[in-house]
Amino acid sequence: MELTLNRSDYLQVGVTSQKTMKLLPASGRRATQKVVVGDQDGVLACFGIKKGEAVPVFKTLPGLKIARLELGGALNAPQEKIFVATGSEIRGFTKRGKQFLSFETNLTESIKAMYVSGSDLFLCASYIYNHYCDCKDQHYYLSGDKINDVICLPVEKLPCIIPILACQDRVLRVLQGSDMMYEVEVPGPPTVLALHNGNGGESGEDLLFGTSDGKLGIIQITTSNPVHKWELRNEKKRGGVLCVDYFDIVGDGVKDLLVGRDDGVVEVYGFDAANEPVLRFDQALSESVTSIQGGCVGKDGYDEIVLTTYSGWITGLTTEPVHKESGPGEELKINQEMQNKIASLRSDLEHLQLKVIQERERYQQSSQSSPAISAAPSFSVNDKFTFDKDDASYSLILEVQTAIDNVMVQSDVPVDLLDVDKNSAVVSFSNSDLEANENFLLATYRCQANTTRLELKIRSIEGQYGTLQAYVTPRIQPKTCQVRQYQIKPLSLHQRTHFIDHDRPMNTLTLTGQFSFAEVHSWVVFCLPEVPEKAPAGECVTFYFQNTFLDTQLESTYRKGEGIFKSDNISTISILKDVLSKEATKRKINLNIAYEINEVSVNHTLKLIHPKLEYQLLLAKKVQLIDALKELQLHEGNADFLIPEYRCILEEADRLQEEYKRQPAHLERLYGMITDLFIDKFKFKGTNVKTRVPLLLEILDSYDHNALVAFFDAA
Amino acid sequence: MLLPVFTLKLRHKISPRMVAVGRYDGTHTCLAAATQAGKVFIHNPYARRQHLNTPRLLQSPLDADVSLLNINQPVSCLTAGVLNPELGHDCLLVGTQTNLLAYDVYNNSDLFYREVIDGANAIVLGTLGDIPSPLAIVGGNCALQGFDYEGNDLFWTVTGDNVHSLALCDFDGDGKKELLVGSEDFDIRVFKEDEIVAEMAETETITSLCPMYGSRFGYALSNGTVGVYDKTARYWRIKSKNHAVSIHAFDLNSDGVRELITGWSNGKVDARSDRTGEVIFKDNFSSAIAGVVEGDYRMDGHVQLICCSVDGEVRGYLPGGAEMKGNLMDTSVEQDLIRELSQKKQNLLLELRNYEENSKAESSSPVNESDGQRGIIPANTKLQTALSVNLGSDSQAAHVELRISTSNDTIIRAVLIFAEGIFTGESHVVHPSIQNLSSCIRIPITPPKDVPVDLHMKTFVGYRNSTQFHVFELTRQLPRFAMYALSNPDPTKEPLSFVNFTVNERVQRVVMWLNQNFLLPEDSEIQNAPFQVCFTSLRNAGHLCIKIKPSGEITVSTDDIDLAGDIIQSMASFFAIEDLQVEADFPVYFEELRKILVKVDEYHSVHQKLSADMADHSNLIRSLLVRAEDARLMRDMKTMKKRYVELYDLNKDLLNGYKIRCNNHTELLSNLKAVNQAIQRAGRLRVGKPKNQVVNACRDAIRSNNLNMLFRIMRVGTASS
Repeated sequence: MELTLNRSDYLQVGVTSQKTMKLLPASGRRATQKVVVGDQDGVLACFGIKKGEAVPVFKTLPGLKIARLELGGALNAPQEKIFVATGSEIRGFTKRGKQFLSFETNLTESIKAMYVSGSDLFLCASYIYNHYCDCKDQHYYLSGDKINDVICLPVEKLPCIIPILACQDRVLRVLQGSDMMYEVEVPGPPTVLALHNGNGGESGEDLLFGTSDGKLGIIQITTSNPVHKWELRNEKKRGGVLCVDYFDIVGDGVKDLLVGRDDGVVEVYGFDAANEPVLRFDQALSESVTSIQGGCVGKDGYDEIVLTTYSGWITGLTTEPVHKESGPGEELKINQEMQNKIASLRSDLEHLQLKVIQERERYQQSSQSSPAISAAPSFSVNDKFTFDKDDASYSLILEVQTAIDNVMVQSDVPVDLLDVDKNSAVVSFSNSDLEANENFLLATYRCQANTTRLELKIRSIEGQYGTLQAYVTPRIQPKTCQVRQYQIKPLSLHQRTHFIDHDRPMNTLTLTGQFSFAEVHSWVVFCLPEVPEKAPAGECVTFYFQNTFLDTQLESTYRKGEGIFKSDNISTISILKDVLSKEATKRKINLNIAYEINEVSVNHTLKLIHPKLEYQLLLAKKVQLIDALKELQLHEGNADFLIPEYRCILEEADRLQEEYKRQPAHLERLYGMITDLFIDKFKFKGTNVKTRVPLLLEILDSYDHNALVAFFDAA
Repeated sequence: MLLPVFTLKLRHKISPRMVAVGRYDGTHTCLAAATQAGKVFIHNPYARRQHLNTPRLLQSPLDADVSLLNINQPVSCLTAGVLNPELGHDCLLVGTQTNLLAYDVYNNSDLFYREVIDGANAIVLGTLGDIPSPLAIVGGNCALQGFDYEGNDLFWTVTGDNVHSLALCDFDGDGKKELLVGSEDFDIRVFKEDEIVAEMAETETITSLCPMYGSRFGYALSNGTVGVYDKTARYWRIKSKNHAVSIHAFDLNSDGVRELITGWSNGKVDARSDRTGEVIFKDNFSSAIAGVVEGDYRMDGHVQLICCSVDGEVRGYLPGGAEMKGNLMDTSVEQDLIRELSQKKQNLLLELRNYEENSKAESSSPVNESDGQRGIIPANTKLQTALSVNLGSDSQAAHVELRISTSNDTIIRAVLIFAEGIFTGESHVVHPSIQNLSSCIRIPITPPKDVPVDLHMKTFVGYRNSTQFHVFELTRQLPRFAMYALSNPDPTKEPLSFVNFTVNERVQRVVMWLNQNFLLPEDSEIQNAPFQVCFTSLRNAGHLCIKIKPSGEITVSTDDIDLAGDIIQSMASFFAIEDLQVEADFPVYFEELRKILVKVDEYHSVHQKLSADMADHSNLIRSLLVRAEDARLMRDMKTMKKRYVELYDLNKDLLNGYKIRCNNHTELLSNLKAVNQAIQRAGRLRVGKPKNQVVNACRDAIRSNNLNMLFRIMRVGTASS
């Protein structure tokens, strides 16, 4: 079933946050729906479309930024009351724009997520969850990590209220009242939750989640335990999921899943007979899709997907064909509409241009007078700095509401900037100047016209830590730039996990001294990614981590005055020891560091590395052979004379080459880690073996697991 | 949306840029391309009616329509076309690093096989100027050579560096074709036969050139730039992070004007309007593009645009018809226009809001440090820039210093300088560490070449703790000879070499030229002739003296022949001199050249001797092999073994001999390049007609091996006394 959708842009509002646009249910005889949207200028706007033109219904005055927008109403009645979250306040509007509710929640932080169901209101600030019924406080929960989204299973179908929190530490927390029933681990940090099919499926328990690394899945939340139904792994490396909706756009009677991602990709998934999702349609826009909903807006009788983008564009992907099959007269009319639109825009522009020129002159004049000041205009930068587990690198996404002129990247740690295919920006590296100014990396990205989004990939080395800074200059007058900072943590390749294998041989590092719980927590935050900034409740806390590159693990348990770190990788312990002692000295805290090294762990780590290394070596060897084999094949006319192994390489040539390309420098990184392991093993013994490293590299060049183990043992 | 009219998947790799279309039998269009292992394949979709299979052309085992031609050497350039108009069909020209083959595919015969000692990096086929017969012009190591169908060398000249691209284009609109040459020294030169009529400096090696129409032509650089020139003026250019592999002019939207079609290394093909550079069509391949050509591949009377990828995918596009109204992409023009206009409106609104907020901030409070975080600075903050020469110290080499400072207590967080050709990339960043922040930054610049460069500076100004900075954008020009510092005249250090010439200009004009092209301290004033100025090079501390006599005679003394050439060319364009005869003497350089010429002779004779040796050896091998096999048949294993051992040794000798030959060849090449460059340099010391006379006379002198004549020409500019 081929689905073709045509794009038409309706209107541009201010910068939008995630989930801030909804379609009001159709009312009366009219089948077309109205669009409500809230932007970061605090303006709530409602409009309909008539003949391709946006006709406003109402518009509020600017205020605090609108973080969420939901529709509500009495249960089993049309959901046409508009609720918006701004700051710590919830406001309610009727569909005509009359404000009927203003509810100050007294939360200290601003509201990040909201869900409305009948008279129940579920609100989340960064870590706090609150449940209100008729604006009366009912329940409260403090989450261990940042809350990204909240939802409640349909109360019509279930006997009790079951709210679910999507938390940054890659779990969904299922609540009952003020208590947590259980946690569900999901494959990535969940960013959005939705009821399957819009109503939770037949049982009302099916929940859809989308993650910031682009995965999607459905979990059935039963009262006792979760049941994973299906999961989409994001093979194509698309952006994180920001919004989802269910709507039958294909028109086959089954609701399709609409997905909007932060790299501008819009996808439509249909469901096959086995209820498995099948991709039906995808289109790439140039900026993040913040909200998405299916409905009928532009023209009666044609369904469409309405979406908002980060910079505030409200766009429809409609089933209405662009070129009508009807007579030539109609087409002329469409053109006329377009022409009118263009003409009005042009006159607006001229008007504005004059005004801007005046203002510009005034600004120039003011710069002559001495007491005047000049403020750099602020612009919002939507940035995301995430770890990609698959190739163990960080990706930095920068998005600005207007076109970016250039981005300058500076780092005081050695990191590699990798090329991203999607980027069209011209990158240029400057010579690093280390001695004077601690710049390991200086690079500029000069963007092509109309680029509002830039993606960078950064490869870090464990043990090297510092700050990465990005200076973003958009193409807007007066020219300004904003600097954003990102921490490269000492154990940058680690990721939080919730289960570890306790049977591995472990090395232990124990800290004791006069330090508070908050202090030791801040050190852990300093060293490891994915740890909540706020010290968790309780006296003692345990976090588990996994090295995504080597699969070694780290367990950290700490309380006031004591911290215990256990890892099967001696290098991890060594890095922690160096960083912690450095940090403690900096803050003049007397710290006792004791360590216990388990010799067996080194061989264990080598054993973990062995299959990866062997695979990479084989891959490299195979890829090297491909060209020569192809030439032989060309010469002889066929590949029948080759031994099966070589024939196999030829058959898989494309896949091998792609795989090799996908993980550049993988082998070098493994070599680096083995070298670190070697040095660290003997560092704990008090011997410096740096002089023997060339020997080690020689062994690695003709790799044999036993020889390597023997070398580690013998040295 | 324009869709390909045909798609082929050939099971052969295609080497980048090595694609040509020709009618090798006079009627059927075939695609020829270089592939792996020193082979050229010819794809003939009409093969069933006609057999190309001959002993030399092998049927490809992978593809029925493909024949393979074995060249046995990496192919470095390839083209097809009419070389012999009497033949009635096209021939295929294949260039390698040492040879040029003109091959008649139809008759399976060589038109000629010529050794081209300077290599063939680029080739173009067509008529040049007044030369009546079509020429195959190859560009190699600083040299250009044109052959007719018999292999006669009808055209020869030298150029500044290794040639990378060639094109024929009616540059001056006289109805005759001029030759465009793009080379490694970033210059596009235009030859009207062997006279250089124009030179355009670019910022990187020119990898492709293509004629558009009239005097307009497209070009591509190795740093990802493509653009269009009309005569010597650049119309537009764009830069991408990918590389343009192949460019071609083709009228894709049927508006009567050819667009610039670019095939990119990431598999993208785009068509850009020749006037604006606006993209009117694009398509994507799964692998890098190898070549973009045109031809009537379907034999239906319509010419298609044919794009080939390195993996052997071939797509053909027919120009869009009238019903597409020139709209080749799937989005409608109106939608795009609305989007663009709305974006503009949004930008203007934002700008307005910025001014509003600024005046709000202004009225609220006086400026202080703490406001710095929000990016508030005094409105009268000014940025000053100054260029000066820094003679360097023990720790730092001599350089040109760019000093940027603010007029108050604000600090400079970072400076981005965008300039082409003087940094490793296109930009240079200065980002002082937090403890080194100040209101003044000194940036050392060392341009590697003597070219005038525009420095586009973006300076981030704010306070120490700011997260928002003001961006000051300024442009300064770095003078051409910035790397020469004014020094005191010192007769003892005056260089031995000099050039002498006379210009009819007032002294003031010469002083103006000096001021424009050198970084002179502000207080240096020169009033009247005769005077003398001396400079020291910051690169190698070499000396440069310029003496002007009241008669207008100028003497430039320097040991650097390139610098002398640059100065003369710079003066000539400043004073608009058309012809300039120059007397020159560079004793040191000439002595070196003499040695090189002697070496070239030596290498030539070694080369001959080695070739003879090789022939001897191969005869020996033949006889040894026969004798060994005889022994085997006689079951005389002992003798056979002995023979084979001998054979093995001989083979080793041959291999060694090959290595020697290789080394000898590279040495020879580099020396030949030096000779070609010497001629080019001697030419650059003159302007206009005398320049061409020198180049031609030098070449004749080298042909006749008359070294004394050669040096005489280089000194006085003519052969006759």
